[in-house]
Amino acid sequence: MQPLAALSRDELAHIDSLIEHFSQNTPLLDRLRKQLLNAVLDADFFAPHVHSVRSRLKAPDHLKDKLARKMIESRGKETQFSLTVDNLFHKLNDLVGLRILHLHAQQIEPINQGLMDLFSEFKYKRVEGPIARTWDDETRDYFKTLGVRTIKSPSLYTSVHYVIQASDKPRCTAEIQVRTLAEELWGEVDHSINYPHKSESLACREQIKALARATSSCSRLVDSIYRSYNDYTSTYKPRASSRKVVKKTR
Amino acid sequence: MTRAKGSHERAIRIALLNHKGGVGKTTLTVNLAFALAQLDKTILLVDSDPQCNLTSYLVQGDVVDKWLDESEDPQGNTIWSGLRPVVHLNNEVKTLIPFERADRVFLIPGDIRLSEYELDLQQAWLDCLQRRVKGFKITSALSEIVDSSTESVGADFVFYDIGPNIGPLNRAILLDCDFFIVPAACDYFSIRALKTLGQSISNWLKDWRIISQLAPSGAPLLRGHPVFLGYVLQRFRMYGGELASQHKEYAKSLERSVFSEIIAVLREIDESLAPGSISHFKLGQIKDFTSLATAAQKEGVSFGDATAGTPYLRDEAREAFIDFAQKILQRVTEI
Repeated sequence: MQPLAALSRDELAHIDSLIEHFSQNTPLLDRLRKQLLNAVLDADFFAPHVHSVRSRLKAPDHLKDKLARKMIESRGKETQFSLTVDNLFHKLNDLVGLRILHLHAQQIEPINQGLMDLFSEFKYKRVEGPIARTWDDETRDYFKTLGVRTIKSPSLYTSVHYVIQASDKPRCTAEIQVRTLAEELWGEVDHSINYPHKSESLACREQIKALARATSSCSRLVDSIYRSYNDYTSTYKPRASSRKVVKKTR
Repeated sequence: MTRAKGSHERAIRIALLNHKGGVGKTTLTVNLAFALAQLDKTILLVDSDPQCNLTSYLVQGDVVDKWLDESEDPQGNTIWSGLRPVVHLNNEVKTLIPFERADRVFLIPGDIRLSEYELDLQQAWLDCLQRRVKGFKITSALSEIVDSSTESVGADFVFYDIGPNIGPLNRAILLDCDFFIVPAACDYFSIRALKTLGQSISNWLKDWRIISQLAPSGAPLLRGHPVFLGYVLQRFRMYGGELASQHKEYAKSLERSVFSEIIAVLREIDESLAPGSISHFKLGQIKDFTSLATAAQKEGVSFGDATAGTPYLRDEAREAFIDFAQKILQRVTEI
């Protein structure tokens, strides 16, 4: 059943007021999105490491659906549905989202450092992250060496994320995700099949799980290729510029 | 910065705004300043028009030329002398010493190079939209100069005299003001101008609201809440103690346009930007004192002190501006 159909009149009215508040503040949130996007695109430091940057403002329909699901989930639980017009923009961290895509795992290190520098230059308050969601032991160990906290990801979703607070009045937050192109492929397929409602097809769910393993291997293979290439150039062609490791493709 | 430094209360900042030229902004500003000074208020006039009409009105031509020549020297004291360290040298604003033109009337002299600041303001606005601190610093530089000058002379009111255009400089000034007044002449173009004026102000306020909400902490911010005080009808002709009939028509249609193009547009953003009933916005009517204007401008005095016209006409002018000044004081206090 569609979650909206299961709501009472009062619950629907509450959600409508939140959506109305969101719509009224679209210019503000969209400006926040543009500021983040331009800051990343303009930072020269990122260019050699970043493949592309995507950004989005949550669509009102998706937000409505998400709020309805949250409301239904909170029924009968101790943690009640607590979203109001005063906390919507910071309790929901993903209204404004930025996604930084790169080719291989090792690039996380300079990208992470670049983001930290950018947050401090533009005075963004980091309220969460970096946190890496991963289900793979080897990747987990790699993140640990970088000092990035890892959490398990039963859904097989893989990425590093940050939440920043851009303003106090109203308090607005945004989420930044960093992942490889291969992980993006999995993420996009999973999203279109399982979002907002999880597919009931066993075959689809199974294949998406297998795809997670394939894309993870793909990420690992790309990583391996660049390691090999770097090793080769440093051993046999000591004068080759390390800057050439990744071509700027955006 | 919006906060006044020290214990001195922030002076009330007002701009006379209309991008339609020739509606008598400068003349009105001077006469209003002198009238308020007579009512024991201290006024700081800020010549913020690159054409420097206000400065030329109040100061002899050869002195003005000398000031302009020296404005980039260490002793420079025009508005550009204050701004240049921020705009060109990435430094802090220079404190200026306002020129005492008469009892309780002070002037920050204008400068033709203000147009350079205007070019920088365009980029600064984009920087503000992009949350860059540098943009906020440049955008609020003029406001900061006025902060220190009002404090040094103990001003109660600041009047910005601005050029007839809708540009980045006037945008920064309007956003710094507590109030604005729209002077309008009795003609078709004046009425037409209100539409673009209202739209521009509305866009500026909406943009600024977002910019300031997303500003990095500690960035200097303009106040961003200019309340519409009202409009003043200028340069109309009288016929037997009444408005000439053609002007009467314009006066009516002006009133309608002020309501639909400015008051209603502002209230859509925030009711408190245009408080009061329609009659509150009629600040006054200043009739055509052409015969006094020429001499007054040449002598650098108010209409009431010009050596032209009849004593009766001069008294009438003096009275008209005192009435106008009192109306403004009253409305400011009420709000």
